[in-house]
Amino acid sequence: MPANEADQRARLAASSVAIIGCGGLGSNVAAMLLRSGVRALTLIDFDRVEESNLNRQLFFRDQLGRPKTEALAETLLRIDPGARLTLVTECVTADNLVGFLGKADVIVEAVDGADTKAMIVGACMDSLPGVPLVTASGLAGLDSANAIVTERLADDLYLVGDLTSDVRAGLPLFASRVMVAAAHQAHAAIRRLLGFDEA
Amino acid sequence: MKVDVALFAYLADHQPDGLGGRHARAFDLPEGTTIADVITDLALPDQPRIVFVNNRHAAEDSTLHDGDRLAIFPPVAGG
Repeated sequence: MPANEADQRARLAASSVAIIGCGGLGSNVAAMLLRSGVRALTLIDFDRVEESNLNRQLFFRDQLGRPKTEALAETLLRIDPGARLTLVTECVTADNLVGFLGKADVIVEAVDGADTKAMIVGACMDSLPGVPLVTASGLAGLDSANAIVTERLADDLYLVGDLTSDVRAGLPLFASRVMVAAAHQAHAAIRRLLGFDEA
Repeated sequence: MKVDVALFAYLADHQPDGLGGRHARAFDLPEGTTIADVITDLALPDQPRIVFVNNRHAAEDSTLHDGDRLAIFPPVAGG
């Protein structure tokens, strides 16, 4: 574990994180990681920016219609022009996912659908053992933000969320609660990169 | 054989003791039981789920062994 802040910053600057999904979670995770000093990010998303995204995702009105990866990269480079960004504007499948992840030190699952989440966790744990994965489940609705937690579900699997609040149940997505979950994910990634661990 | 079974989130309501909660219960299962057998016996809903045995991802057709710890987690949508 790095002994002081300079060593910690150096460790983060030498690390890379792959983010699968650049929506409410992923776009905000990317910005938080970059601001924290992780300068190599792989951004994976097939989708384009829509007006309905603007209530919680890190996009702007003048980016409507653009691929989320490209729009997010543009914003991230305004924060850190030296950021090393790899953009993958593709829909992930069990067959192509691992090839997109490169040599990421940590993977962040930030997609919307439950079935895709399950696929990603399975593919990463099977094909990339030892690479930590931070997944999210349960961030919709208006329950307390305090119900969103980070826990270690398996050796290299960290879970963020309240585990139960399902968008499909008609619960709305509020920026405040989505960003709590995104902050948990980003912080879990940072802590793991620096050698800390969850209980 | 004895297998510890933990069910997360809404799946916990399917524990045979009816008490809910995510803590593991000890199941006494016949040799050769697969994860899919347990899922069928517990009548778990046909929803996305992630299955772990001893903290590692496992396929549902895997056979369980004495002393295994089975955990099943159902992700929910939103991202």
